[in-house]
Amino acid sequence: MNPAAPLLEMSNITVAYGAHRVLDGISLGVGAGEIYALLGGNGAGKSTTLSALLGFIQPTAGDVRVGGIDPARDPDAARRQIAYLPESVALYEHLSARENTAYLLALADQAQQDEAIAEAFGATGLQADAWDKRLAGFSKGMRQKVAIAVALLRHVPVLLLDEPTSGLDPRATADFNRLVEQVRDRGAAVLMVTHDLLSAADIADRIGFLEHGRIVDEVTASGPDRFDVRALHHKFGAAPADAIAA
Amino acid sequence: MSPIGHELRLLLRARLAAGALVLLALLTAASIVAGLAEVRHQQQVIERIQPQQAADVAAISQWVSKIEDPGSAAYYTFHPTWDSPSSLAFAALGMRDVAPYILRVRALGLEAQLYDGENFNPELALPGRFDFAFVLIYLAPLFVIALFHDLHASEREAGRLTMLRALPRSRRLWWRRGLLRFAFVYFAVALPFAVGAIVSGTGLPTILAVLTLIAAYLVFWVALALLVGRMSWSSVTNAAALAACWLVLTLVLPTLAHVAINRAIPLGQGVELTLAQREAVNKAWDIPRETTMARFFASHPEWRDTPPLPPEFHWKWYFAFHQVGDESVADRVRAYRDGLQARDAAARALGWALPPVGAQAALTRLANTDLAGQLAYQDRVRAYHERLRQFYYRYLFNDIPFGAPDFEKAPKFGSIVPSK
Repeated sequence: MNPAAPLLEMSNITVAYGAHRVLDGISLGVGAGEIYALLGGNGAGKSTTLSALLGFIQPTAGDVRVGGIDPARDPDAARRQIAYLPESVALYEHLSARENTAYLLALADQAQQDEAIAEAFGATGLQADAWDKRLAGFSKGMRQKVAIAVALLRHVPVLLLDEPTSGLDPRATADFNRLVEQVRDRGAAVLMVTHDLLSAADIADRIGFLEHGRIVDEVTASGPDRFDVRALHHKFGAAPADAIAA
Repeated sequence: MSPIGHELRLLLRARLAAGALVLLALLTAASIVAGLAEVRHQQQVIERIQPQQAADVAAISQWVSKIEDPGSAAYYTFHPTWDSPSSLAFAALGMRDVAPYILRVRALGLEAQLYDGENFNPELALPGRFDFAFVLIYLAPLFVIALFHDLHASEREAGRLTMLRALPRSRRLWWRRGLLRFAFVYFAVALPFAVGAIVSGTGLPTILAVLTLIAAYLVFWVALALLVGRMSWSSVTNAAALAACWLVLTLVLPTLAHVAINRAIPLGQGVELTLAQREAVNKAWDIPRETTMARFFASHPEWRDTPPLPPEFHWKWYFAFHQVGDESVADRVRAYRDGLQARDAAARALGWALPPVGAQAALTRLANTDLAGQLAYQDRVRAYHERLRQFYYRYLFNDIPFGAPDFEKAPKFGSIVPSK
């Protein structure tokens, strides 16, 4: 793998179902220690982008690489590089946080000692009294902490986040963003697909705007304010009604 | 903890799945206990025959020995025959609950005695038997459906499927999960069976054959459940589809096939042979005795050169017309037997297409409780009855007095113990 190459790379990706192009020539790259937020409305192609990266679908055209690996050709090798957090982190309700974590690690062939799990829980800020409780009463934020702990323990170079802040209150969103920054600071490439412009602007190093399967604009954080959220909102607020949530 | 250990914990924490497995194990154990109890009861009944037979013979001997009449001895003495259950009969009672496993025969016409039981035994078949075969063929598939219908769908509906698929080598998860569930269902059925088989003294090859049959049958249902699961329907739809498959494969198609086979191979009832034989026997009273004896000697020339019939009643004429009565329905008996075997062969052929039918047929064959077992018992009874006739005819046709010691000389039925 070329160390200078982005960990996540999509070049001219097209995914078409008949005449309908869900992704239409997307190109993007996310390097180590970088957070890329892909903003778009419903049907813009966000989930399809993630599916292509995870090797769930084979693009009609173009090239996808995860850590230098084509996920469509060798999905297992690609997935060894990836931790994926779905929009709704659904875990096993009748297992505790610790048991869920141990189970998911075992599934990924990356079993860890209890001490390591406790350390990861500590890093995510999951309260100690919740570690051995069954997940039945956990909030979405707590579940995400468990899932982030799994990602940390897997030491993967790539983190994919699907609408991670949807349904979180502002405090929980801020907590989650700090966690993602932790992962980024450990050298991971983070791709976050989201509706949430504020959250994206809070943590992303770059933001891509996805519309009808195309990245119509890409902005990079700069200066102390990073992004001009008001300007971005004005610029992309005219997109289809639900394209960008303020 | 190993991945399989995690799966085990997950399965056991799921109350419905764990409860279903416990219930299946309990039902299987109950069926084994019921089967063993029924077989023990049948064995006890068979064991009680000998002392009762001795008492019967003593009572008849007491007065027959005074007149030393071989005809009375042959007419009044019943001789027990029995079909000892195989060591696997506890698992598949098959025809043993509807067909007689004990038959007391006299040296009279045999056909009427063979099918006498059909007058009442079909009533016993109505409720059916709760045995291991019933649990395996009809109930175990329902538990397989309960445990496998939502293998994928439950993860999808809980929102975990994408996350699980995103893990490396996630396909192994389904293999592990499927194999673990299969193993639990298998052991819930196979372990109680194995214990029952050991208690019953079943031979190892037979145990292994049944264990293989159990595995093959469960694999069929698991494969069907996984096939339906691949349709990406909801778990409720999967369950409904599989329940419909169960209904069609275990009840509807076998019933339709049964009707079709019966129509394709028309066959009277055994009791009709009884009536035909009795009619032939009754008509003999109106036929000149010489005519009857001529027919008898034609097929049994070895008794021709014996003293002629006296003018008064003689038992040898009576027994001769009984035998002629049997021979008069011989063609119908052969046709009836051929018809039964043809139906059985058709049902067995159907078993290749309908696993529930095939598994049941295989199980009853191994247990020797199927039609073949029943016919083999009939053959043993026929052979024994022939020996009885030869024994009594020697006294009857040669006018040899029949005293008390002669009762002891009568042939004894030796039950052939089926192989283990």
